[in-house]
Amino acid sequence: MAPIAVGDVLPDGTLSCFDAEDKLQQVSVHSLAAGKKVIIFGVPGAFTPTCSLKHVPGYIEKAAELKSKGVDEIICISVNDPFVMKAWAKTYPENKDVKFLADGSANYTHALGLELDLSEKGLGTRSRRFALLVEDLKVKAANVESGGEFTVSSADDILKAL
Amino acid sequence: MASTILKRATSSSMKSRVESLLIGASRRSYASVAVGTDIVSAAPDVSLQKARSWDEGVSSNFSTTPVKDIFKGRKVVIFGLPGAYTGVCSQQHVPSYKKSIDKFKAKGIDSVICVAVNDPYVMNAWADKLKAKDAIEFYGDFDGSFHKSLELGKDLSAALLGPRSERWSAYVVDGKVKALNVEKAPSDFRVSGAEVILEQI
Repeated sequence: MAPIAVGDVLPDGTLSCFDAEDKLQQVSVHSLAAGKKVIIFGVPGAFTPTCSLKHVPGYIEKAAELKSKGVDEIICISVNDPFVMKAWAKTYPENKDVKFLADGSANYTHALGLELDLSEKGLGTRSRRFALLVEDLKVKAANVESGGEFTVSSADDILKAL
Repeated sequence: MASTILKRATSSSMKSRVESLLIGASRRSYASVAVGTDIVSAAPDVSLQKARSWDEGVSSNFSTTPVKDIFKGRKVVIFGLPGAYTGVCSQQHVPSYKKSIDKFKAKGIDSVICVAVNDPYVMNAWADKLKAKDAIEFYGDFDGSFHKSLELGKDLSAALLGPRSERWSAYVVDGKVKALNVEKAPSDFRVSGAEVILEQI
């Protein structure tokens, strides 16, 4: 699958998470994004450094600013199971806006064409680091890192696209 | 190939899949693990990844630990579970071994090992959360190859976990399985806890 690009329609897919009542839920991406302005950012792995110490905190800090610019949802996805995503989300008790959704089987990451083989680091198939700005299912910005960098996918970078 | 087939036939693991050896050109032989199985022969090319932080991964060049280094010449109690951060695993299975660690040491056990189909960074964060790293060694079987070699893999896609493992425990001396306990369902916790295996050592 070719990597998702500006002008594409965001594919639908199913992600999972634990809801406020701690029940496991499957969520359709389109149900979250249709008719709305959303940011989806992907990380290679829960509990790994750049993801945990820079990428996620950036979006938590800028959430209010992003929302003031009309962003309805800020979604973090990773190829991890929902139990791990829940535990990782709990390490950010100050977070109110960023939703942590699990793409355990990497199916959605594959649909976006953003998968990355990190087997030699003991991670298996994961997601590239990326950030998408999507308005009513149309991709307006697609910032995908080419390797392990963190230069185009941060909250500051996506703020520039708004 | 012939020598491998002979080894399979003489091993007391009678459920070994001779057909797969005859058909496939692969050197990997899958044998259902049982008492008497030699774990190192059943999983000759397999490695596990010790639970670690990313920095430790980088500085060790993402090194892995071959199965033979874990088991050869050592007395090991190993237990496997479906997933880090999940219910029974976190609340019952790991605590059962953590609180009995002195009893295991008193019986001459070199290592008590917990393994799951998770990456080593998640295993590390989970082990820290459970404050169990001093007692138990945590390893990740990130691609499931260790469990697959022992036919202990289980598809838990229905629970949104994907390919994982059974819940099980084993007492292994110099690579030979002396005791093996596998739950009927991964959500059970009847035979794979510390108390059961302590009786079997």
